[in-house]
Amino acid sequence: MRPSLKALAFAFGLMTALVGVTPAVEAAGGEIVIASVQGPPSLDAHVTNAQVARNITLHIYETLYARNENAEPVPDLAEGVSVSDDGLTYTFKLRQGVKFHNGKEMTSADVVASIERYRKIGVSPALVAAIDTVSAVSPYEVAIKLKVKQSVFLDNISSPRAPIAIYPTEEAAKGANEIQYIGTGPFKFVEYKPDSHVTLEKFADYVPNPAYQKRDGLAGKKEVLIDRVTFRFIPEAGARTAALESGAVQIVETVDGPTAERLRKDSKYVVHDVLPFAFQVIKFNHAQAPSDDVNFRKAVQAALDMQEVMEISYSGINQVDGGWVFPKSAFANDAGLDQYNVADFEKAKAFLSKSSYKGETVTFITDNLRPNVDIATVVQARLAEIGVKVDIKVADWPTTSKIGFTKTGWNFWTHGFGIEPFEGPGTVMSAFVGGNAQMVADPEIDRIAKEFYATLDDAQKKELFKQFQQRMYDNMVAIKAGNYGLFQVTSDKVKDFVPFRIPRMWGVTLAP
Amino acid sequence: MRDYLLRRLVSVIPVLFLVSLMSFAVIWIIPGDPTAAFLDASSTPEDVARLREMLGLDKPPLVQMAEWYGRVLTGDLGQSILLRIPVLSAILERLPLTLLLATLALILAVGLGVAAGTFAATRRGTWADQSVMSLALLGLSVPDFWLGLLLIVVFSVQLGWLPSGGYVPLLDDPLGWAKSMVLPTITLAVVQVGFIARMTRSAMLDVISQDFMRTADSKGLSGLYIILRHGLPNAMMPILTVTGIIAGALLGSAVVVEQVFALPGVGRLIIGGILSRDYPIIQGGLLFLTVIYLLINLVVDLLYATIDPRVRLE
Repeated sequence: MRPSLKALAFAFGLMTALVGVTPAVEAAGGEIVIASVQGPPSLDAHVTNAQVARNITLHIYETLYARNENAEPVPDLAEGVSVSDDGLTYTFKLRQGVKFHNGKEMTSADVVASIERYRKIGVSPALVAAIDTVSAVSPYEVAIKLKVKQSVFLDNISSPRAPIAIYPTEEAAKGANEIQYIGTGPFKFVEYKPDSHVTLEKFADYVPNPAYQKRDGLAGKKEVLIDRVTFRFIPEAGARTAALESGAVQIVETVDGPTAERLRKDSKYVVHDVLPFAFQVIKFNHAQAPSDDVNFRKAVQAALDMQEVMEISYSGINQVDGGWVFPKSAFANDAGLDQYNVADFEKAKAFLSKSSYKGETVTFITDNLRPNVDIATVVQARLAEIGVKVDIKVADWPTTSKIGFTKTGWNFWTHGFGIEPFEGPGTVMSAFVGGNAQMVADPEIDRIAKEFYATLDDAQKKELFKQFQQRMYDNMVAIKAGNYGLFQVTSDKVKDFVPFRIPRMWGVTLAP
Repeated sequence: MRDYLLRRLVSVIPVLFLVSLMSFAVIWIIPGDPTAAFLDASSTPEDVARLREMLGLDKPPLVQMAEWYGRVLTGDLGQSILLRIPVLSAILERLPLTLLLATLALILAVGLGVAAGTFAATRRGTWADQSVMSLALLGLSVPDFWLGLLLIVVFSVQLGWLPSGGYVPLLDDPLGWAKSMVLPTITLAVVQVGFIARMTRSAMLDVISQDFMRTADSKGLSGLYIILRHGLPNAMMPILTVTGIIAGALLGSAVVVEQVFALPGVGRLIIGGILSRDYPIIQGGLLFLTVIYLLINLVVDLLYATIDPRVRLE
């Protein structure tokens, strides 16, 4: 957008007393400033699974295993692991010479203390629920004994959701949110100014993992080539983009579609499409009529045109895909997909006539995130075509989630499933185990998940996941609308940035 | 005077009590709690319950309320759930920025508004009067968040003169500080300039038609002297009332401006508190803003007596 001459003249007149200089250009090495949507609820990695928090904490802390570029668990602080024949004991061999930011060397005592802390106060207790005991075998060996065999144990130990970060023993002895932010990561904590920014600086004593030659997801070779990184919290979307365009920040975590298209045409910026980033899910409440009726749920699925749903909500960055894992996953299959994206009102009406729906108004809850509200609106319009009345209730996230975690007050709830598909099929399933998402347990889902977690056989796991996906459609447990992505934008001065779920600041350089 | 002050200060107590009671009621009515800020959508109800217990939210609301009042009476506004620091510290840490922003905006608004209103009143019915009043109306009508973004686009993105947001502490970099305050101050002041200009014009028109103004004119005094010496002081009462209202309103508008310009002030603290249901921040913040608002009103009332000796504080 170019201002008119008059606007420029006005601006000039108003600002004559405050003639400034253009923003200073960062020197090589230098500091990268990232515009984030909001600040983290905590920098204690164990106690929050908020995305805004892990974007920062995964630069400060590390885990025994971490997810690689394909989201598979690979060694990070550990050199490797050996599993006992009965599949119950995992012995992790630790890397030697790994330093904490306070100068102390990491040993097995720190690992044991950190995992024990997570078992007590970790915000995703399911990750460590299978652990029976954790013990130090030697200064560089830790043995974890499980209560039962768990096929997803390494997935859990490497989860970035609320990472099982390794803290120094003395910090691990402290309660939730009481620690000093000391980890082993490539950046160390400098300053947290709430409502303003978090600043990290290069950890000079960091030794990149010698087992790797290059960056690989959240593991790999983490070589820091800049001096500092600041996460600046700018809640207003327009102000975030303006900060990028004025040179005040070099990376914006996410912009909307029209902004991405505008910036894409300007050679000063690079727009990175991170797709797929998350599932868009429409949950059903099975504890409340009429969504307790499978025929009603099938009527809803049959009425929806997923092309329309995804394009209206995530224009230009979506995939019409009904699989309950990302398309490139080894677990991707086509079970149940004949029931996906049907967009057939006649079929929908046929299901509806078999259901217990009596013309009552059903409730669709959503938080105020624009795409979610758009989806609720599209669903409302489509269902009106088959005679279903939908009342949309929009509130902020705390209110919506409070209602959505109970059995009354809602029939549909849409939101993204981000970290779950990234973590893999085990986590996706766990969202529906015991009726977590749908409020009424589905014995078939529970059975499949139990068998899936218990087997160490890959072929069997794939077969079980296929059964899970088929069941999701046959019982229409929830609707997977599609995959959406996000646009990360970097200034052309940021070199070697590779987009990932978490914007990684290692391996990145800043041109002068 | 002393009795008046005492009475006014005592009358603050029931207001504060009512405000705190209402903030508790609102918090109970609105569903959701601080766990939502820590957890994502696929967390289980058990995860939520466990975190509630960890954050001390599992106590019955009445117990929480009794504990809160007990603490407030000893001057302790409680501990922020998310920031993990005392609420009073969180507020005091951010207060200088918000007060400074509001003060700068108030000075700008009063200075420009009074000048524009007086100018228009002395040229009543002319094109100059019409132009100034049209501009004042425009200023009144512009939404502050939109104006803020427009100023960012022009002065930060296009011209590159001023930063698009963020705060630079005065002691770290005085020039950087000055630059970081320009756009937020203008954004905050523009609406109020229009308001004060219209009020000043109206008050001045009343005064200009008075006999003593004609007498001063017939004595051969200069026009500017008459306005400054005889006109403005007599028009000050309604302007002062409006300024008092504006001073309070600026604290409210600062919320929006702090959000647009990513400034870590009290407004943003309270908005963040509301969005994440950080109850102690909401309650403490509202109580604190109420105290400031009441103090501003008290100061305005005291100023009435100073400006107009006919006003007796009884």
